[in-house]
Amino acid sequence: MYGNLSVIDAQPNMPSEEEDPKLLAEFEARIDRGEKIEPHDWMPREYRRQLIRMIEQHAHSEIIGALPEGTWITRAPGFKRKMALMAKVQDEVGHGQLLYSAAETLGKSREAMINDLLSGKSKYSNVFNYPALTWGDTAVIAWLIDAGAIVNQVANSKGSYGPYCRALERICQEESFHLKYGYDNVVTLATGTETQRAMVQEALNRWWQPIMHFHGPPDTVSVHTEKLVRWKVKMATNDEMRQEFLDGYVPKIWELGLTVPDPNLHKNPETGLWEFTEPDWEEFKRVINGDGPCNKERLAVRRMAEEEGRWVREALKRPSQKYVAPLA
Amino acid sequence: MSNDAALKDLLFRMADDDLIIAHRNSEWTGLGPIMEEDIAFSSIAQDKLGHSLALYTLLETLGEAEPDTTAFTRDEAQFRCCHLVEYPIGGYDFSLMRHFLFDMADMLRFELLESSSYEPLAKLAAKVRGEIKYHVFHAATWVEQLGAKGSEESHARMQSSLNLVYPLALGIFEPSQFEAELAASGIFAGEAALQEKWIAAISPILERSNLRIPAVADPAQAYGGRRGYHTEHLQPMLTEMTEVFRIDPTASW
Amino acid sequence: MTIKSLDPRITRAEIPVDNESTWTPLPDMDQHETYEVFHQEKRGDQPTHVGALHAPNPEMALVFAKEQYARRSRCVSIWVVRTQDIHTIGIEDSDVFETTPAKDYREARGYRVGGKLTEFKRRRAASNE
Repeated sequence: MYGNLSVIDAQPNMPSEEEDPKLLAEFEARIDRGEKIEPHDWMPREYRRQLIRMIEQHAHSEIIGALPEGTWITRAPGFKRKMALMAKVQDEVGHGQLLYSAAETLGKSREAMINDLLSGKSKYSNVFNYPALTWGDTAVIAWLIDAGAIVNQVANSKGSYGPYCRALERICQEESFHLKYGYDNVVTLATGTETQRAMVQEALNRWWQPIMHFHGPPDTVSVHTEKLVRWKVKMATNDEMRQEFLDGYVPKIWELGLTVPDPNLHKNPETGLWEFTEPDWEEFKRVINGDGPCNKERLAVRRMAEEEGRWVREALKRPSQKYVAPLA
Repeated sequence: MSNDAALKDLLFRMADDDLIIAHRNSEWTGLGPIMEEDIAFSSIAQDKLGHSLALYTLLETLGEAEPDTTAFTRDEAQFRCCHLVEYPIGGYDFSLMRHFLFDMADMLRFELLESSSYEPLAKLAAKVRGEIKYHVFHAATWVEQLGAKGSEESHARMQSSLNLVYPLALGIFEPSQFEAELAASGIFAGEAALQEKWIAAISPILERSNLRIPAVADPAQAYGGRRGYHTEHLQPMLTEMTEVFRIDPTASW
Repeated sequence: MTIKSLDPRITRAEIPVDNESTWTPLPDMDQHETYEVFHQEKRGDQPTHVGALHAPNPEMALVFAKEQYARRSRCVSIWVVRTQDIHTIGIEDSDVFETTPAKDYREARGYRVGGKLTEFKRRRAASNE
C-alpha cells in the first residue's frame, strides 16, 4: 500500500549532474523503445537516486502499513475475517520484503533502509500515521486505501525499472485479494445492523481526508520533474491518480448508501472530472513531518520489533556470510 | 451414542488447541524478528486457524453450533485446550519452543488419525498432512539453528524456554475419560500412545540441538485444560478475541 | 512510560515511549546474506527464478522461500542458491548475445532443398525421354 510521495522530499531543483551524453542518449532511447532498465545497466545517478528513494519509501509503507490493520488482528470477528486479516497483514510484510529486495538491486542495503526509516530520515505513506479506531476502520483501510494503492501501483508497474515492475506485478496480484476482502467487509457492515452501518460510516468519515491526501497534493503545487516522467519513474500525476480513484470508488460508496463528508464532491458532467473540497494540505505536511496522531508510535513499534529480534539474527551471523545485492 | 461424546471430546481438544495457538502465534504477524520469518510464522498461524475451523465444522455435523458461534461465544470453562497454548507469546524463543513441541504432537496425532475409524477425521488428517509437515520442518530447523548452531545467548534462551515449555507440553497428553472407548472403537489410539511417539520424535532433535529435556516430577501439574480448568491467561485472551464479535453475536461480520 | 496503544499487542509489549534514545542502528550484515529463489510451478515445467531473500544459511533460506514465494502460487519444488554463488554474463554485456544475420547455417530456415530437388527431377525426366 503506497500513495504518492513525490511531494515529500523530491529534489526537483537539484542541479543535474554531468552524465556521459552518449550513455545518457542510449539510456533514454532504451526507455523510449519501451524496454526495461535492469540493475547492472548504466543509468544516470539521478535516476538511481530517485528510484531508491521511491522504492524504499514504498517498502517502508508496507511494513508500517502492517500496523494500523494489525491493530485488529487479535480481534477480527469470526473465522473468515480472522484468517483474511492475518493473510492481509502478512502480505504487507511480504510486499515490503519484495520491495526492499528491488531497492537493494540499486545499491542500498536493507539495513541502511531500515535505519533510515527508524531515524526518521526516510518517509512512508502518510495515511499510516492515522489510527484504526474500530473494526470499521480496518474495513475502510482494506477497501479504499488498498484501492488507492492499486491505482498507483498499476501505473508504476509500467515504469522503466525491471526489478520494481516485477515486484509490483506480484504485489498487484495479491492486492486484488485485499481489495475484494475490503469491499466484502465494507458491504457486510453497510448492509448489516444499524450499529455496523454506523461503524463503517464513522470510519469512512474519519478516513476521507487521509484518502484524499493519499495521492499527494494537486499537480499545480506538486513538484515533480519532467525528467522523472520521461524516464518513466513517475507514471501518472497525483491528480490523474486521484481522479481515477474517485471515478472507480465514489459511485460504489454511494451505491451502499454511505456518504462522503464532502458536500461539494461531484463529477462535473462537462469536464468528466471530479470536483471536491481541497483537503487540508497543511495538516498533510504537518503529519508527514512527524506530527500526526500515530507517527511516534509507529516508529517506536518498529524499533521494538527490530530490537526484540536482534538476538535471533545475531545468533545466526557468520563471518563467512557475504552480502551481495539481489541479482534481479 | 456414547462414542459420540468421546469423539466430540477429542475434536474439541484438537480444535481448541489449534484455535488458541493460532491466535497466539498470529500476534507476531508484522512484528517478527526477520521479515522472511514474519511471513513464514504467520502462514503457520493461518494454517492452524484453518485446521481448527475444519475441526469445528466436524463438530457441527455432530450437532454442535456452527464454528463461529462455537469459537467466539464460549467462555473459558467450555474450552478443552491445554495450558501450553494459552500462555502469552513471550520472547521469540518461547514462541518457537512452544511451536516445536506443539507441532510435533500435532503432526503425530494427525498421523495416527489417518487410520481413524471416524472417516471424516481420517480424511481431514490426510488433507492437513503437508501443512503440518512444513510446520515441523520450520520448527525443527529453528530449534536446531538456535540451539546448536547459534550463539551462546541463543542456546541459553532456547534451553530456558525448553525448561519452561516442556512441563506445559506434557499437558497436551492429559488423559481423557474416554481413552478406552476411543481406542476400542478405533477412533484414536490414545494420549499415552501419542506421548510415547512424541518423546521419541523430539528427543533426537533436541539432542542434535544441544538441548536437554528437563526432569518433570509431576506431569499432572499441567493437567486440567482438557476438563475446563485453565490458566489465568485464557479468559483475557478470549475476551480480547471476541471483542468485535460480541458487539452483536447474531450479526453477520 | 510505555506506549498505550489501540493495538492490545503493542500495549502488552510495554514499549518505552522514547525508545529512540536507546536505539542502536542495525549493523552491517544484520539481515544476513542474500539468496536467489527458483520455483517449479508444476511437474514438467522449467524451474524459474522468482526473486530473492535474506537468510543466514541454506536451511533457513528454504524455510523462508517456501512461504515468501509459494504461499499463494502453485509450486512443486523450490531451489535456493546464495546470490554470491551465481555466475552471470550480465545485462551490461547483453550485446554478446546479438547475432549477425549471416547465421542461417544454424537455423532451420537456412536449409531449403526444394529447388534443387525439383530441378533434379526435371532433368531426370528429360533424360529418360
